[in-house]
Amino acid sequence: MPETSYAVLGVFETPDALMKAIPQVRASKLGTVEAYTPYALHGIEEALGLRRSPLGGMVLVMGILGAITAFGFQYWISAIDYPIITGGKSAGSWEAFIPIMFEVTVLFATFTAGLGMLFLLNKLPFFGHPVLSSKAIKGITRDRYVLALEAESEAFDSAAAARALQAAGAIEVEALPAPDRSPFLTSDWVLRTLGGIFTACVVAGLAMYFATKWFPVLAPMKYIQEQPRLNAQKASSFFKDGHGMQQPVPGTVARGYLPTATGTQEEAASLVNPLPRTPEVFALGKKVYKNRCEVCHGAVANGVGSLTAAYGAKPANLQAQQFLDYPDGKIYWAIVNGKNAMPSHAPYLSERERWAVVDYVRALQRAQNAKDEDLKVAR
Amino acid sequence: MKPDAAILPGDIPEALIEPALTVGVVTPGSLDDQVLAFPETKPPKQWYIGLAVTLTALFIGVGCIGYVFVTGIGAWGNTSPVFWAFDIINFVFWVGIGHAGTLISAILFLFRKRWRNAIARFAEAMTIFAVICAVIFPLIHIGRPWLAYWLFPYPNQRALWTNFRSPLLWDVFAVNTYFSVSAMFWYLGLIPDIASMRDRATGKVRKVIYTVLAMGWRGAASHWQHYEKAYLLLAGLATGLVLSVHSVVSFDFATSVVPGWHMTIFPPYFVAGAIFAGFAMVVMVLVVVRETMQLKNLITMRHLDVMNKVILAMSCLMGYSYMMEGFTAWYSMNEYLHRSFMNIITGTYGWAGWVTISCNILIPQILWFKKARASYFWMVLVAVGVTIGMWFERFVIIVVSLHQDYLPSAWRIYKPTMIDFGVLLGTFGVFFTLVLLFARVLPVIATTEVKAILPGAQPSHQGDDHHA
Repeated sequence: MPETSYAVLGVFETPDALMKAIPQVRASKLGTVEAYTPYALHGIEEALGLRRSPLGGMVLVMGILGAITAFGFQYWISAIDYPIITGGKSAGSWEAFIPIMFEVTVLFATFTAGLGMLFLLNKLPFFGHPVLSSKAIKGITRDRYVLALEAESEAFDSAAAARALQAAGAIEVEALPAPDRSPFLTSDWVLRTLGGIFTACVVAGLAMYFATKWFPVLAPMKYIQEQPRLNAQKASSFFKDGHGMQQPVPGTVARGYLPTATGTQEEAASLVNPLPRTPEVFALGKKVYKNRCEVCHGAVANGVGSLTAAYGAKPANLQAQQFLDYPDGKIYWAIVNGKNAMPSHAPYLSERERWAVVDYVRALQRAQNAKDEDLKVAR
Repeated sequence: MKPDAAILPGDIPEALIEPALTVGVVTPGSLDDQVLAFPETKPPKQWYIGLAVTLTALFIGVGCIGYVFVTGIGAWGNTSPVFWAFDIINFVFWVGIGHAGTLISAILFLFRKRWRNAIARFAEAMTIFAVICAVIFPLIHIGRPWLAYWLFPYPNQRALWTNFRSPLLWDVFAVNTYFSVSAMFWYLGLIPDIASMRDRATGKVRKVIYTVLAMGWRGAASHWQHYEKAYLLLAGLATGLVLSVHSVVSFDFATSVVPGWHMTIFPPYFVAGAIFAGFAMVVMVLVVVRETMQLKNLITMRHLDVMNKVILAMSCLMGYSYMMEGFTAWYSMNEYLHRSFMNIITGTYGWAGWVTISCNILIPQILWFKKARASYFWMVLVAVGVTIGMWFERFVIIVVSLHQDYLPSAWRIYKPTMIDFGVLLGTFGVFFTLVLLFARVLPVIATTEVKAILPGAQPSHQGDDHHA
């Protein structure tokens, strides 16, 4: 027998023989007693004095954590980050979260039970354990019941251990040599496997890189994008002007909107803005101006918008004296009917929105031509 | 097996003594030689013939799905108002098939029904394969399957989240959880068996593969202790899943307002139907397996007898559910519900309703006779009938309810196309191909679990009350 042993194995033929031997071998106090069996034997954990498995508690904790996670996640999404009303329920109604809470609880608990058992408690995968390279392992996974006396210190007496096992009825004993340090990492084929995986990753990565570089990427099912239909902001050969989006027919009035004021701009000069000058009206005017007007007339209504260069036309500089002198009604008329290159905005804007924009334009004009008294008011 | 030490053998009435679970002399060693040898030897000719047939079906399915990807889902018969049709029928059908495996491996484990040990492995494998088949359908049904990851709630630049109040999203979670848990359960059960195969393996490649898969399992008592605990916990968790997964699937229907769907009986009714269909499939496959793989001494006629009894019980439950559906329709005095129910038996698809009723309720009644439960002819006839019947039940639920609902102007007759049938055939190909491959490379019987219930496998009792 070798000088230093990891353990001595004693082979038994029946579960009864094994169970009978356990107390005897444990009483010899030569080392740690462990059993290796083809399947779980009832009562062996008491005989070996094993601690109760802590798995149940782990699973309970993780299961509860799963439920809390699922609830928190769903509540945060459905009630806080992205509230949508479904079925007339309030955004925070939690009853509909129960099925997914249940599923996530089971998922967390299952993975804790399975992976916790394998990785945490049993420390698997472990390919370098001495028992795996023993002669007895073929019997262990088949029909033999093996008792192991494992060395606790350098002073382990393998000959005495073998005698103790034989005295307890072992039909065969086998001394296992102490393994090399870290047999897992020095194991040759593991290194080769890792090397193989690494090479495969490099090859696959290079193949992907060049495949996407040299060959065109074809989107599957292109017909979904390429169907004969009009897309917003896209060209179309269907209409004469080549635009996908078309202007409404002149004189169109959207539902709920007032008909467009008729007459000339001069006639409209006498119209009076019916809206009160409140912060709400101002906010509405600002919103509409930002959406509809700013792109051409500019943020401060000086006619320098982001589209000016691209569009060719020259939008009016509303800060010019001519427009400062305009009555509200004439600005209103321009919004409703359009002027020069500017199209009519009547189909898009309600009566209230049109007048709110007029107010906002007035505010912009005032802001660009502020007088000293304005400063005092602001204070 | 040995009776409890506390009770003398004479005290137990004969009828209560469980008959042996295996036929003839089976020892742990002979069990390994019988079951584990199958993947080690060259497969018989029937196996290749079977694989050729299933692969043909699989490739027909792949071709049909490919055609759908190229031309679009207009290749199917789905049309307004029957938008769900075959995809959801087949999805519900396959998910249901899977339930038998989980019931056998989890619920029967908790009930300490030891006959389950011999068939649990196969049934669990069938669960996993059935869920794989089921998952194909929602994926292709969404039309652009490469965007399927949109089903999951993950932070994205579209700044959108999924709707957690939709039963369809519950389905995503339920089916994914079901698959993960079943796979975990199956793999954990396989580890000790794979370790046996590792230690028997002679070829180098085989040895390396089984070594990696067995994770270095060495059968230590300290490992078994955690292992048994994990298995028990998984059984308990999977039990909840047996009842929940098909309930969640039924919510897809029950939470809508379509007459014929909006019923509280749906969850239990779906779960019963799932177990029913699953057991039929397991019986069908087990008959073939025990004959072709010479496993008659392990998968005994008693196993089939018990399985058939479960099928009979489930058939009666289904009959009750159908009657309750009719009763609800009548008692609700709701004309839409009433008409929807009458549509099932007298409408355009009335024949489908009658196929459902005869295959699921009438034919299985033959199993009341002991002789029928012991006859391959009758049990396979019933199993095939139930499989067809349960498929048609989902057809009736989905197509009949959808094709005529509240608005008569929207009514339309639904006709499946050949592509629809091709995809369905393809999933049968996938399922049975996987079954055949599984039988070739892994032990089809949980040898470790069967070893543990052989006579004399457990230590005789020394006063404590530990028993299997």
